[in-house]
Amino acid sequence: MNVLLLSLLGAVIILDKYALGEFGISQPIVTGAIIGAIFGDIWFGIFLGAMVQLVFLGGLPIGRDIPPDGQAAGIITATSYFLLRGSNIMAHSLGVAAVLGLIGGVVGGFFDVIARRFNEKLHTHFLVHEEWLYVCHAAGLATAFLRGFVLFLPVFAFSSVFVIPGIFPQITKETLTIIGMSLGLANSFYLFVKMKTVVYLLIGGVCGLALAVL
Amino acid sequence: MRLGLSRLIRIFFQSLFLQTSWSFMSMQSMGFLSGVLVGVDGAKHAGIISARKGLFNTHPYMVSYIVGATVRAYDEGTASAEEVNRFLSVAQTSFASAGDLLFWRTLRPALLLLSVILGVRYGLIGPLFFLVVYNGFHLYHRIQGIRDGYKMGWDVIYVLKTKRFTLTRQVFEVVGTLLCGLLLSLGSPELRYILVIPLTALFVIMLIRRYSAVMIIVSALLVLLIIGMV
Repeated sequence: MNVLLLSLLGAVIILDKYALGEFGISQPIVTGAIIGAIFGDIWFGIFLGAMVQLVFLGGLPIGRDIPPDGQAAGIITATSYFLLRGSNIMAHSLGVAAVLGLIGGVVGGFFDVIARRFNEKLHTHFLVHEEWLYVCHAAGLATAFLRGFVLFLPVFAFSSVFVIPGIFPQITKETLTIIGMSLGLANSFYLFVKMKTVVYLLIGGVCGLALAVL
Repeated sequence: MRLGLSRLIRIFFQSLFLQTSWSFMSMQSMGFLSGVLVGVDGAKHAGIISARKGLFNTHPYMVSYIVGATVRAYDEGTASAEEVNRFLSVAQTSFASAGDLLFWRTLRPALLLLSVILGVRYGLIGPLFFLVVYNGFHLYHRIQGIRDGYKMGWDVIYVLKTKRFTLTRQVFEVVGTLLCGLLLSLGSPELRYILVIPLTALFVIMLIRRYSAVMIIVSALLVLLIIGMV
Protein backbone atom coordinates (compact mmCIF):
# COMPACT_ATOMS: atom_id res chain seq x y z
CA MET A 1 0.00 0.00 0.00
CA ASN A 2 1.12 3.55 -0.70
CA VAL A 3 3.48 4.99 1.93
CA LEU A 4 1.77 8.37 1.75
CA LEU A 5 -1.67 6.86 2.39
CA LEU A 6 -0.33 4.82 5.29
CA SER A 7 1.22 7.95 6.84
CA LEU A 8 -2.07 9.82 6.43
CA LEU A 9 -3.96 6.94 8.02
CA GLY A 10 -1.46 6.80 10.91
CA ALA A 11 -1.75 10.56 11.44
CA VAL A 12 -5.56 10.30 11.54
CA ILE A 13 -5.46 7.39 14.01
CA ILE A 14 -2.99 9.20 16.27
CA LEU A 15 -5.51 12.07 16.69
CA ASP A 16 -7.32 9.68 19.02
CA LYS A 17 -4.36 9.83 21.42
CA TYR A 18 -5.53 13.13 22.89
CA ALA A 19 -6.74 15.55 20.21
CA LEU A 20 -10.06 13.89 19.39
CA GLY A 21 -12.25 11.61 21.46
CA GLU A 22 -9.72 9.32 23.13
CA PHE A 23 -11.77 6.23 22.34
CA GLY A 24 -8.73 3.95 22.52
CA ILE A 25 -8.58 3.37 18.75
CA SER A 26 -4.92 4.46 18.79
CA GLN A 27 -3.94 1.83 21.38
CA PRO A 28 -1.36 -0.55 19.79
CA ILE A 29 -3.55 -3.67 20.18
CA VAL A 30 -6.26 -1.94 18.09
CA THR A 31 -3.96 -0.31 15.52
CA GLY A 32 -2.14 -3.63 15.13
CA ALA A 33 -5.47 -5.21 14.13
CA ILE A 34 -6.31 -2.36 11.72
CA ILE A 35 -2.89 -2.37 10.03
CA GLY A 36 -2.82 -6.17 9.97
CA ALA A 37 -6.22 -6.16 8.24
CA ILE A 38 -4.94 -3.66 5.63
CA PHE A 39 -1.98 -5.90 4.81
CA GLY A 40 -4.04 -9.10 4.92
CA ASP A 41 -2.52 -10.63 8.08
CA ILE A 42 -4.74 -9.58 10.97
CA TRP A 43 -3.36 -12.22 13.37
CA PHE A 44 0.22 -11.05 13.10
CA GLY A 45 -0.89 -7.42 13.27
CA ILE A 46 -2.66 -8.18 16.56
CA PHE A 47 0.39 -10.04 17.85
CA LEU A 48 2.70 -7.08 17.08
CA GLY A 49 0.20 -4.63 18.59
CA ALA A 50 -0.11 -6.80 21.70
CA MET A 51 3.65 -6.88 22.28
CA VAL A 52 4.01 -3.10 21.86
CA GLN A 53 0.99 -2.65 24.14
CA LEU A 54 2.73 -4.58 26.91
CA VAL A 55 5.91 -2.53 26.55
CA PHE A 56 4.03 0.77 26.88
CA LEU A 57 1.36 -0.36 29.37
CA GLY A 58 2.74 1.79 32.17
CA GLY A 59 2.99 5.11 30.32
CA LEU A 60 0.52 7.34 32.14
CA PRO A 61 -0.26 10.81 30.71
CA ILE A 62 -0.79 12.50 34.06
CA GLY A 63 -0.69 16.31 34.34
CA ARG A 64 2.23 17.84 32.45
CA ASP A 65 4.07 14.53 32.13
CA ILE A 66 4.33 13.39 28.51
CA PRO A 67 5.46 9.74 28.42
CA PRO A 68 6.99 8.09 25.30
CA ASP A 69 4.40 7.69 22.59
CA GLY A 70 3.18 4.09 22.81
CA GLN A 71 0.48 4.74 20.24
CA ALA A 72 3.00 5.93 17.64
CA ALA A 73 5.25 2.98 18.50
CA GLY A 74 2.36 0.59 17.79
CA ILE A 75 1.59 2.14 14.41
CA ILE A 76 5.28 2.25 13.41
CA THR A 77 6.07 -1.33 14.49
CA ALA A 78 3.10 -2.91 12.69
CA THR A 79 3.32 -0.83 9.50
CA SER A 80 7.12 -1.07 9.22
CA TYR A 81 7.02 -4.82 9.68
CA PHE A 82 4.58 -5.32 6.81
CA LEU A 83 6.48 -2.87 4.57
CA LEU A 84 9.87 -4.47 5.34
CA ARG A 85 8.45 -7.95 4.79
CA GLY A 86 8.13 -7.14 1.08
CA SER A 87 11.89 -7.39 0.50
CA ASN A 88 13.31 -9.05 3.64
CA ILE A 89 13.05 -12.28 5.61
CA MET A 90 10.65 -12.40 8.58
CA ALA A 91 13.27 -12.48 11.37
CA HIS A 92 15.09 -9.43 9.96
CA SER A 93 11.84 -7.53 9.33
CA LEU A 94 10.68 -8.23 12.87
CA GLY A 95 13.98 -7.00 14.32
CA VAL A 96 14.08 -3.75 12.37
CA ALA A 97 10.35 -3.09 12.92
CA ALA A 98 10.76 -3.55 16.68
CA VAL A 99 13.80 -1.24 16.75
CA LEU A 100 12.00 1.40 14.65
CA GLY A 101 8.88 1.10 16.83
CA LEU A 102 10.72 1.54 20.13
CA ILE A 103 12.82 4.44 18.83
CA GLY A 104 9.67 5.87 17.19
CA GLY A 105 7.92 5.78 20.56
CA VAL A 106 10.68 7.85 22.16
CA VAL A 107 10.90 10.30 19.22
CA GLY A 108 7.09 10.49 19.14
CA GLY A 109 7.17 11.67 22.77
CA PHE A 110 9.52 14.52 21.79
CA PHE A 111 7.30 15.42 18.82
CA ASP A 112 4.37 15.49 21.20
CA VAL A 113 6.16 18.05 23.37
CA ILE A 114 6.97 20.19 20.29
CA ALA A 115 3.33 20.06 19.11
CA ARG A 116 2.05 21.10 22.52
CA ARG A 117 4.57 23.93 22.65
CA PHE A 118 3.25 25.10 19.30
CA ASN A 119 -0.25 25.04 20.77
CA GLU A 120 0.95 27.67 23.27
CA LYS A 121 1.18 30.07 20.33
CA LEU A 122 -2.45 29.29 19.49
CA HIS A 123 -3.46 30.12 23.04
CA THR A 124 -1.45 33.34 22.99
CA HIS A 125 -3.21 34.31 19.77
CA PHE A 126 -6.57 33.61 21.39
CA LEU A 127 -5.70 35.80 24.39
CA VAL A 128 -5.24 38.74 22.03
CA HIS A 129 -8.15 37.91 19.70
CA GLU A 130 -10.94 36.42 21.81
CA GLU A 131 -13.24 36.04 18.82
CA TRP A 132 -10.77 33.47 17.40
CA LEU A 133 -11.42 30.95 20.19
CA TYR A 134 -12.91 28.20 18.03
CA VAL A 135 -10.37 28.69 15.21
CA CYS A 136 -7.37 28.59 17.57
CA HIS A 137 -8.82 25.58 19.37
CA ALA A 138 -9.57 23.68 16.15
CA ALA A 139 -6.08 24.48 14.81
CA GLY A 140 -4.81 22.08 17.49
CA LEU A 141 -6.22 19.27 15.31
CA ALA A 142 -3.86 20.31 12.50
CA THR A 143 -0.92 20.40 14.92
CA ALA A 144 -1.69 16.90 16.20
CA PHE A 145 -2.23 15.59 12.66
CA LEU A 146 1.03 17.08 11.38
CA ARG A 147 2.93 15.71 14.37
CA GLY A 148 1.88 12.20 13.38
CA PHE A 149 2.37 12.68 9.64
CA VAL A 150 5.89 14.12 10.02
CA LEU A 151 6.80 11.22 12.30
CA PHE A 152 5.35 8.43 10.14
CA LEU A 153 6.24 9.47 6.58
CA PRO A 154 10.06 9.16 6.78
CA VAL A 155 9.87 5.91 8.79
CA PHE A 156 7.43 4.29 6.38
CA ALA A 157 9.37 5.53 3.33
CA PHE A 158 12.54 4.05 4.82
CA SER A 159 10.82 0.75 5.63
CA SER A 160 9.43 0.40 2.12
CA VAL A 161 12.85 0.53 0.44
CA PHE A 162 15.28 -0.75 3.07
CA VAL A 163 17.03 -4.03 2.40
CA ILE A 164 18.35 -5.31 5.73
CA PRO A 165 22.01 -6.42 5.76
CA GLY A 166 22.60 -10.05 6.78
CA ILE A 167 24.58 -9.09 9.90
CA PHE A 168 21.53 -7.46 11.53
CA PRO A 169 20.28 -9.53 14.51
CA GLN A 170 17.41 -11.83 13.67
CA ILE A 171 14.47 -11.48 16.03
CA THR A 172 12.00 -14.32 16.27
CA LYS A 173 8.38 -14.18 17.40
CA GLU A 174 9.46 -15.93 20.63
CA THR A 175 12.11 -13.30 21.38
CA LEU A 176 9.57 -10.52 20.95
CA THR A 177 7.12 -12.43 23.18
CA ILE A 178 9.77 -12.76 25.91
CA ILE A 179 10.49 -9.00 25.89
CA GLY A 180 6.78 -8.13 25.69
CA MET A 181 5.86 -10.52 28.50
CA SER A 182 8.70 -9.29 30.74
CA LEU A 183 7.80 -5.63 30.36
CA GLY A 184 4.08 -6.41 30.53
CA LEU A 185 4.55 -8.35 33.77
CA ALA A 186 6.77 -5.60 35.22
CA ASN A 187 4.34 -2.83 34.22
CA SER A 188 1.25 -4.61 35.51
CA PHE A 189 3.06 -5.70 38.67
CA TYR A 190 4.01 -2.07 39.30
CA LEU A 191 0.48 -0.81 38.56
CA PHE A 192 -1.67 -3.38 40.33
CA VAL A 193 0.05 -5.62 42.83
CA LYS A 194 -0.29 -4.72 46.51
CA MET A 195 0.06 -6.81 49.64
CA LYS A 196 -3.71 -7.22 49.93
CA THR A 197 -4.07 -8.40 46.31
CA VAL A 198 -1.08 -10.79 46.13
CA VAL A 199 -3.41 -13.78 46.40
CA TYR A 200 -5.07 -12.81 43.08
CA LEU A 201 -1.63 -12.58 41.46
CA LEU A 202 -0.89 -16.12 42.59
CA ILE A 203 -4.26 -17.41 41.32
CA GLY A 204 -3.70 -15.65 37.99
CA GLY A 205 -0.12 -16.96 37.80
CA VAL A 206 -1.16 -20.59 38.39
CA CYS A 207 -3.96 -20.31 35.79
CA GLY A 208 -1.58 -18.57 33.36
CA LEU A 209 1.06 -21.30 33.70
CA ALA A 210 -1.60 -23.99 33.27
CA LEU A 211 -2.84 -22.32 30.08
CA ALA A 212 0.74 -21.96 28.78
CA VAL A 213 1.47 -25.66 29.30
CA LEU A 214 -1.84 -26.92 27.87
CA MET B 1 -34.05 25.70 33.16
CA ARG B 2 -33.67 22.22 31.70
CA LEU B 3 -30.56 20.80 30.13
CA GLY B 4 -32.45 19.30 27.17
CA LEU B 5 -31.30 16.67 24.67
CA SER B 6 -29.90 19.05 22.07
CA ARG B 7 -27.73 20.85 24.62
CA LEU B 8 -26.59 17.52 26.07
CA ILE B 9 -25.52 16.37 22.59
CA ARG B 10 -23.73 19.66 21.83
CA ILE B 11 -21.81 19.61 25.13
CA PHE B 12 -20.99 15.92 24.71
CA PHE B 13 -19.72 16.45 21.16
CA GLN B 14 -17.60 19.43 22.20
CA SER B 15 -16.18 17.49 25.16
CA LEU B 16 -14.60 15.06 22.67
CA PHE B 17 -12.35 17.94 21.61
CA LEU B 18 -11.33 19.01 25.13
CA GLN B 19 -7.61 18.35 24.61
CA THR B 20 -7.37 19.35 20.93
CA SER B 21 -5.36 22.50 21.69
CA TRP B 22 -3.63 21.19 24.86
CA SER B 23 -0.54 23.25 25.66
CA PHE B 24 1.86 23.45 28.61
CA MET B 25 0.90 27.07 29.31
CA SER B 26 -2.90 26.83 29.44
CA MET B 27 -3.43 23.05 29.21
CA GLN B 28 -7.13 22.44 28.34
CA SER B 29 -8.17 26.08 28.73
CA MET B 30 -9.54 26.62 25.23
CA GLY B 31 -11.16 23.17 25.15
CA PHE B 32 -12.98 23.77 28.43
CA LEU B 33 -14.11 27.23 27.40
CA SER B 34 -15.46 25.91 24.09
CA GLY B 35 -17.28 23.15 25.97
CA VAL B 36 -18.99 25.59 28.32
CA LEU B 37 -19.88 28.09 25.60
CA VAL B 38 -21.82 25.57 23.49
CA GLY B 39 -24.10 24.99 26.47
CA VAL B 40 -24.68 28.61 27.45
CA ASP B 41 -26.87 31.35 25.96
CA GLY B 42 -24.97 33.39 23.34
CA ALA B 43 -25.53 36.70 25.15
CA LYS B 44 -23.32 35.51 28.02
CA HIS B 45 -20.38 34.38 25.87
CA ALA B 46 -18.31 37.58 25.97
CA GLY B 47 -18.46 37.77 29.77
CA ILE B 48 -17.54 34.10 30.20
CA ILE B 49 -14.59 34.35 27.81
CA SER B 50 -13.09 37.33 29.61
CA ALA B 51 -13.58 35.69 33.02
CA ARG B 52 -12.27 32.20 32.09
CA LYS B 53 -9.13 32.52 30.03
CA GLY B 54 -6.76 30.98 32.57
CA LEU B 55 -5.30 27.54 33.00
CA PHE B 56 -7.63 24.57 33.17
CA ASN B 57 -6.72 20.92 33.44
CA THR B 58 -8.61 17.82 34.47
CA HIS B 59 -9.09 14.25 33.33
CA PRO B 60 -10.57 14.35 29.79
CA TYR B 61 -13.46 12.00 30.61
CA MET B 62 -14.29 13.78 33.87
CA VAL B 63 -14.67 17.21 32.34
CA SER B 64 -18.35 16.47 31.67
CA TYR B 65 -19.18 16.68 35.38
CA ILE B 66 -17.49 20.08 35.64
CA VAL B 67 -18.97 21.48 32.42
CA GLY B 68 -22.46 20.34 33.46
CA ALA B 69 -22.21 22.14 36.81
CA THR B 70 -20.68 25.26 35.25
CA VAL B 71 -23.37 25.49 32.56
CA ARG B 72 -26.03 25.26 35.27
CA ALA B 73 -24.34 28.08 37.22
CA TYR B 74 -24.36 30.31 34.13
CA ASP B 75 -27.98 29.35 33.37
CA GLU B 76 -29.08 30.39 36.84
CA GLY B 77 -26.90 33.49 36.70
CA THR B 78 -26.69 33.77 40.48
CA ALA B 79 -23.07 32.68 41.02
CA SER B 80 -20.36 35.34 40.95
CA ALA B 81 -17.23 34.93 38.81
CA GLU B 82 -15.27 34.31 42.01
CA GLU B 83 -17.60 31.49 43.07
CA VAL B 84 -17.31 29.85 39.65
CA ASN B 85 -13.52 30.10 39.76
CA ARG B 86 -13.41 28.67 43.28
CA PHE B 87 -15.56 25.70 42.21
CA LEU B 88 -13.44 25.14 39.11
CA SER B 89 -10.14 25.17 40.99
CA VAL B 90 -11.39 22.53 43.45
CA ALA B 91 -13.33 20.45 40.91
CA GLN B 92 -10.63 20.24 38.26
CA THR B 93 -8.02 18.79 40.64
CA SER B 94 -10.46 16.45 42.39
CA PHE B 95 -11.87 15.04 39.16
CA ALA B 96 -8.38 14.89 37.61
CA SER B 97 -7.08 12.81 40.46
CA ALA B 98 -10.15 10.52 40.49
CA GLY B 99 -10.13 10.12 36.70
CA ASP B 100 -6.40 9.39 36.55
CA LEU B 101 -6.75 6.74 39.24
CA LEU B 102 -9.87 5.18 37.74
CA PHE B 103 -9.07 5.27 34.03
CA TRP B 104 -5.32 5.72 33.46
CA ARG B 105 -4.04 3.67 36.40
CA THR B 106 -6.70 0.98 36.73
CA LEU B 107 -9.44 0.47 34.17
CA ARG B 108 -7.50 1.07 30.95
CA PRO B 109 -4.40 -1.02 31.79
CA ALA B 110 -6.59 -3.85 33.18
CA LEU B 111 -8.75 -3.94 30.04
CA LEU B 112 -5.68 -3.68 27.82
CA LEU B 113 -4.09 -6.63 29.61
CA LEU B 114 -7.22 -8.67 29.03
CA SER B 115 -7.44 -7.60 25.39
CA VAL B 116 -3.77 -8.54 24.86
CA ILE B 117 -4.33 -12.03 26.32
CA LEU B 118 -7.55 -12.48 24.30
CA GLY B 119 -5.96 -11.00 21.16
CA VAL B 120 -2.89 -13.25 21.17
CA ARG B 121 -4.99 -16.36 21.82
CA TYR B 122 -8.21 -15.64 19.90
CA GLY B 123 -7.39 -12.83 17.46
CA LEU B 124 -9.87 -10.04 16.73
CA ILE B 125 -11.91 -10.68 19.89
CA GLY B 126 -9.15 -8.97 21.94
CA PRO B 127 -9.19 -5.48 20.38
CA LEU B 128 -12.97 -5.58 19.85
CA PHE B 129 -13.54 -6.50 23.49
CA PHE B 130 -11.33 -3.60 24.60
CA LEU B 131 -13.10 -1.04 22.39
CA VAL B 132 -16.60 -2.10 23.47
CA VAL B 133 -16.04 -2.42 27.23
CA TYR B 134 -13.65 0.52 27.61
CA ASN B 135 -15.92 2.87 25.68
CA GLY B 136 -18.90 1.63 27.65
CA PHE B 137 -17.31 3.04 30.80
CA HIS B 138 -15.80 6.04 29.00
CA LEU B 139 -19.01 7.19 27.30
CA TYR B 140 -21.07 6.53 30.42
CA HIS B 141 -18.95 9.04 32.37
CA ARG B 142 -18.94 11.55 29.50
CA ILE B 143 -22.75 11.53 29.13
CA GLN B 144 -23.89 10.88 32.70
CA GLY B 145 -21.31 13.41 33.88
CA ILE B 146 -23.01 16.24 31.99
CA ARG B 147 -26.44 15.22 33.35
CA ASP B 148 -25.22 14.83 36.93
CA GLY B 149 -23.22 18.05 36.77
CA TYR B 150 -26.26 19.97 35.57
CA LYS B 151 -28.59 18.29 38.08
CA MET B 152 -26.33 18.58 41.14
CA GLY B 153 -24.55 21.87 40.43
CA TRP B 154 -21.63 22.58 42.79
CA ASP B 155 -22.51 19.37 44.73
CA VAL B 156 -21.42 17.24 41.78
CA ILE B 157 -18.08 16.85 43.52
CA TYR B 158 -19.72 14.39 45.96
CA VAL B 159 -20.28 12.01 43.05
CA LEU B 160 -16.62 11.03 43.52
CA LYS B 161 -17.62 9.11 46.64
CA THR B 162 -20.21 6.99 44.83
CA LYS B 163 -19.81 3.37 43.76
CA ARG B 164 -19.32 4.28 40.12
CA PHE B 165 -15.85 5.47 41.17
CA THR B 166 -14.93 3.52 44.28
CA LEU B 167 -16.37 0.09 43.45
CA THR B 168 -15.26 0.15 39.81
CA ARG B 169 -11.70 0.95 40.85
CA GLN B 170 -11.63 -1.76 43.53
CA VAL B 171 -12.99 -4.37 41.11
CA PHE B 172 -10.55 -3.50 38.34
CA GLU B 173 -7.59 -3.45 40.74
CA VAL B 174 -8.37 -7.08 41.54
CA VAL B 175 -8.99 -7.89 37.86
CA GLY B 176 -5.68 -6.21 36.92
CA THR B 177 -3.75 -8.22 39.53
CA LEU B 178 -5.35 -11.46 38.35
CA LEU B 179 -4.50 -10.61 34.73
CA CYS B 180 -0.91 -9.78 35.68
CA GLY B 181 -0.53 -13.45 36.65
CA LEU B 182 -2.51 -14.62 33.63
CA LEU B 183 0.02 -12.91 31.34
CA LEU B 184 2.17 -16.01 31.85
CA SER B 185 -0.27 -17.79 29.53
CA LEU B 186 1.37 -15.98 26.60
CA GLY B 187 4.51 -18.08 27.08
CA SER B 188 5.13 -21.73 26.31
CA PRO B 189 6.98 -24.52 28.17
CA GLU B 190 10.28 -23.93 26.36
CA LEU B 191 13.59 -23.37 28.11
CA ARG B 192 14.17 -19.88 26.71
CA TYR B 193 11.00 -18.56 28.37
CA ILE B 194 12.89 -18.81 31.69
CA LEU B 195 14.49 -15.53 30.55
CA VAL B 196 11.18 -13.84 31.43
CA ILE B 197 11.99 -14.18 35.17
CA PRO B 198 15.25 -12.16 35.33
CA LEU B 199 14.02 -9.66 32.73
CA THR B 200 10.79 -9.02 34.66
CA ALA B 201 12.82 -8.55 37.85
CA LEU B 202 15.12 -6.09 36.05
CA PHE B 203 12.22 -4.02 34.71
CA VAL B 204 10.35 -4.06 38.04
CA ILE B 205 13.47 -2.73 39.78
CA MET B 206 13.81 0.00 37.13
CA LEU B 207 10.13 0.97 37.62
CA ILE B 208 10.37 0.97 41.42
CA ARG B 209 13.56 3.06 41.30
CA ARG B 210 11.69 5.43 38.99
CA TYR B 211 14.02 5.20 36.01
CA SER B 212 12.68 7.31 33.16
CA ALA B 213 10.40 5.61 30.62
CA VAL B 214 12.95 6.39 27.89
CA MET B 215 15.66 4.58 29.86
CA ILE B 216 13.43 1.51 30.28
CA ILE B 217 12.61 1.44 26.56
CA VAL B 218 16.28 1.79 25.62
CA SER B 219 17.08 -1.12 27.98
CA ALA B 220 14.35 -3.21 26.37
CA LEU B 221 15.82 -2.38 22.96
CA LEU B 222 19.31 -3.44 24.04
CA VAL B 223 18.02 -6.68 25.55
CA LEU B 224 16.11 -7.40 22.33
CA LEU B 225 19.21 -6.88 20.19
CA ILE B 226 21.46 -8.89 22.53
CA ILE B 227 19.05 -11.86 22.53
CA GLY B 228 18.79 -11.50 18.74
CA MET B 229 22.59 -11.67 18.36
CA VAL B 230 22.96 -14.61 20.75
